Amino acid sequence: MKIEKEPISGQYGKFKIDGIDYRIYWEEAGQGIPLVCLHTAGSDGRQYRALLNDKKILEKFRVIVFDMPWHGKSSPPENTRVGNYKLSTDFYISQIMSFINGLELLKPVVMGCSIGGRIILHLAINFPDKFRALIGLQSAGHLDPYYDISWLHRQDVHGGEVCGGIAYGLMAPTSPESDKFETMWHYMQGGPGIFKGDLFFYKFDGNIGNEIKKIDNSKCPIYLLTGEYDYSATPEETKSLADTIGIEMVKMKNVGHFPMSENPKEFLKYLHPVLNKIN
Amino acid sequence: MFEKLAEKNNKRQSLALMAQYLNTCFIISTTENEYLVNIEKGVVKNVEKGPFVMPSYVFKLKAPENEWLKFLQHTPQPGSHDIIAMLRRKVLKFEGDLHPLMSHLLYFKLLLASLRPVESRNEN
Repeated sequence: MKIEKEPISGQYGKFKIDGIDYRIYWEEAGQGIPLVCLHTAGSDGRQYRALLNDKKILEKFRVIVFDMPWHGKSSPPENTRVGNYKLSTDFYISQIMSFINGLELLKPVVMGCSIGGRIILHLAINFPDKFRALIGLQSAGHLDPYYDISWLHRQDVHGGEVCGGIAYGLMAPTSPESDKFETMWHYMQGGPGIFKGDLFFYKFDGNIGNEIKKIDNSKCPIYLLTGEYDYSATPEETKSLADTIGIEMVKMKNVGHFPMSENPKEFLKYLHPVLNKIN
Repeated sequence: MFEKLAEKNNKRQSLALMAQYLNTCFIISTTENEYLVNIEKGVVKNVEKGPFVMPSYVFKLKAPENEWLKFLQHTPQPGSHDIIAMLRRKVLKFEGDLHPLMSHLLYFKLLLASLRPVESRNEN
C-alpha cells in the first residue's frame, strides 16, 4: 500500500535550560532561513502542521517547531510533580534561546501565537539583534483575567474537557469543523495544570506595560497578525500595540485565536505576503 | 427564545453522550424572560418559561435579550459567537454553582449553539 508521506521529521534532544536538563521534542521541514514557531498555551507543536507541509514556505524556510517543556512530546524535568508548573517570562525566554543556541540557528525568524505572540515582544525588547524578524500572531501587550482560570486544573473537573471547551470558543464559527476539532483535541491532550500554568505568563507575569515603547522596529522587523474572532487578544488590542510600536497590523478575517491550525488555508493567505518580505 | 432546547437536544444523541452523567437545572435569563432548563443524563427534559416565584436552579446565565439574539445568529459576529466571549465583553454573567457548567463547558456551548438557524458545527 502506498502512503502519503509528509516532509516533516521529528527529533528529541537534551537541552540545558536555566541549568536544568530538559528532553525536548521538535519537528522540522524545509531548507533556508530558520523559522522557529511557538505554539499556544496548553497545546503543542502540532498546531503548525500546515506550515510544515506548505511547499511554498519550505522552499525558502527551514520551519522548526518545538514542544515546550511539559507539552506535547517534551518531558517535564526530573524530580518534579503534578501541579508544579508555572510559566514565567524568564523561563520562556530561556527555553527559546536555549533551543535556538542548541540548534545553532543564526538570526532566525521567530513566529509565536498567543503566549508565543506575547513572548516575541519580550524578545524584541531584549534581543532585537538576535533575530531576522519576529512575527506575532494574536499578540497583545497584556491581558487582564476575564474568567477564573482555577477551573482549568481541579481534581473534580476533567482537565481535557474543560481546556478543550475553552479553546473551542476561541475559534471562529467560520473555520472548518475538522480543523477546529483537531485544534481542540490538542488541548484535550495536555497534562494537568499545564494550560493554567502557561496562563500565569499570559495573564500575569508576561504582561508588558510601557516597556512596549522600547521596541525598535528598525532593529528587528515585527509583523503582527490577529484573527477577527479572537476575544483573548482582540484585533483592537493588537492595533493598539502596533500603533505604539509604529507599525501596521493585519486583521485576519474568518479566523480566531489559532489561525495556523483552525483554518490554515485562510491563514496562509495572510502569512505568505509577510514571509515574502523576509530575506 | 430557548423553548426549543429540549426538542433540538433530544434529536442529538451524541450531544447527550457528552454529558451522560449530568443532572442539573439552570436558568437562562434575558432582560424580559427567564427559562428554566432541566437536564437529566445529558438530555434536556423540559424548558419552562418564567416568570417564576421560587425557582430552584444550580446556576444562571444572564445576558440582555439583544445579546442572546446576536449569539443565536446563523454566523455570529466576533464577540458574540461564544459564551466566554460574551463574558469577556461583560454582557453575560455566570452566577451560582458553576461546577456543572465548567465541567461540561463544551456541551453547554454546543447545546446553546444548537439553536442557531443553521449550525456551523458537526452534528450526529
